[in-house]
Amino acid sequence: MDLRAGDSWGMLACLCTVLWHVPAVPALNRTGDPGPGPSIQKTYDLTRYLEHQLRSLAGTYLNYLGPPFNEPDFNPPRLGAETLPRATVNLEVWRSLNDKLRLTQNYEAYSHLLCYLRGLNRQAATAELRRSLAHFCTSLQGLLGSIAGVMAALGYPLPQPLPGTEPTWAPGPAHSDFLQKMDDFWLLKELQTWLWRSAKDFNRLKKKIQPPAAAVTLHLEAHGF
Amino acid sequence: MAAPVPWACCAVLAAAAAVVYTQRHSPQEAPHVQYERLGSDVTLPCGTANWDAAVTWRVNGTDLTPDLLNGSQLVLRGLELGHSGLYACFPRDSWHLHHQVLLHVGLPPREPVLSCRSNTYPKGFYCSWHLPTPTYIPNIFNVTVLHGSKSMVCEKDPALKNRCHIRYMHLFSTIKYKVSISVSNALGHNATAITFDEFTIVKPDPPENVVARPVPSNPRRLEVTWQTPSTWPDPESFPLKFFLRYRPLILDQWQHVELSDGTAHTITDAYAGKEYIIQVAAKDNEIGTWSDWSVAAHATPWTEEPRHLTTEAQTPETTTSTTSSLAPPPTTKICDPGELGSGGGPSAPFVIGVPVILALAAAAAPASSLLI
Repeated sequence: MDLRAGDSWGMLACLCTVLWHVPAVPALNRTGDPGPGPSIQKTYDLTRYLEHQLRSLAGTYLNYLGPPFNEPDFNPPRLGAETLPRATVNLEVWRSLNDKLRLTQNYEAYSHLLCYLRGLNRQAATAELRRSLAHFCTSLQGLLGSIAGVMAALGYPLPQPLPGTEPTWAPGPAHSDFLQKMDDFWLLKELQTWLWRSAKDFNRLKKKIQPPAAAVTLHLEAHGF
Repeated sequence: MAAPVPWACCAVLAAAAAVVYTQRHSPQEAPHVQYERLGSDVTLPCGTANWDAAVTWRVNGTDLTPDLLNGSQLVLRGLELGHSGLYACFPRDSWHLHHQVLLHVGLPPREPVLSCRSNTYPKGFYCSWHLPTPTYIPNIFNVTVLHGSKSMVCEKDPALKNRCHIRYMHLFSTIKYKVSISVSNALGHNATAITFDEFTIVKPDPPENVVARPVPSNPRRLEVTWQTPSTWPDPESFPLKFFLRYRPLILDQWQHVELSDGTAHTITDAYAGKEYIIQVAAKDNEIGTWSDWSVAAHATPWTEEPRHLTTEAQTPETTTSTTSSLAPPPTTKICDPGELGSGGGPSAPFVIGVPVILALAAAAAPASSLLI
């Protein structure tokens, strides 16, 4: 099996379809259980743990890529990497996301990102890097499961991929080494930004689902936040 | 027949006087404005006068000595700030103003210092700048903000002239912001730029209204409350965590407590009877850096003697109860095992041994500064 850089992304399409068919978590009976609150907190804690883990992983990986990728003020234009799920969102749109959409966007993003990370893992040169990446992938899988749990507890269906919207990467002309590294750089950057965003997403969910008092919630609505 | 002659004479005289007056008091041209560099030499020509014409130079109305002249030109060497002023030259022995120069002595700008900060995340951020050394002449600043390839508007601050504000349109961006500033004046030009990610510049303002109160019947407790900074727009979705530090005024070492929730905390290991200084800092839970320390609050824990204690000030008489300085007073009902077990004070145990002796020796001294 001769894996050239261009082909390996194509292989991911196969892997990603496998990932989508994660057995659905049965919806919990909401009455009589503590509600989704504890699992939202758990999901939030997971994002913090992952963000911390990613910091050291990204540092190691970028050093492996070498300059300019490991320079602190490296600021390339965002070319390529178009299929990467982007965390960036209009401020007002983000504020007004309903819970289901907020959770769905997180779930879909991490599914895609996990897929790409697994591709990264197979290309990584050193055993140590592969170990770190594999460990991170496992933790990320845990986060996905946690988000799925919250969605199930709230009665939201897990997003199923429509045919044709799977994260494929057209295996066109083989990526140059430099362009491949750029893709890796953007993957790590997007992953880090998503983890920051998720922390804020789950903060918002925590407050909305477990308001300390109805009066307080109403007070917040009035401020238009 | 004789009458028209003196009348004409008066008219001519009056006209002549008017001409002289206008030429003396209103210059033929507006003063020429000139900027020169501090420390340099400058030669000011007297307008269009001949090089060897006999002229007098004045600065701000005062005559200048002729040894500064080179022909009709004024030579100033080693310009100092004091040389700034209005220079005027007159043909010698004449009222006729020939030429005026408004001289400003200054410096070209050095590289400006630029920094940006978001204390209103996620609403936006501001950038402020200054010159490391003054130029003494007017400067014009121009700020540009780029987000990737998109240019953003930096709105001038209504009150501060070296600050402008940018509003975030998108959150959670992986693309860095680049803020450039250029400064120019009549003598030169300079510029600088900084690049940063959205998350790295987040730094809230310090917590507000930090108040510390003694707790009645608890000689080792202080209750501290504060408020989230009013500039932080959305503490619900973007919660802050807090860092509290406190020490008795008489010690240098701070105690620290990090709090992930709430805007109140009770200190339970305060030295009885000692005035404390307390400060709080804030940080977004996940991103950015800690704020500066808040304005300090002062408080002294409750003491058993009935005194007219205000909530925040320490009166000197309380230090005469020296036996209670570092241990719970024996007459107090010690009913909270947590207090005894809570480390019993700061992390510097050496403090406990020595002052007991000092305390006994200084029992008669009213001043608290004698203790340690």
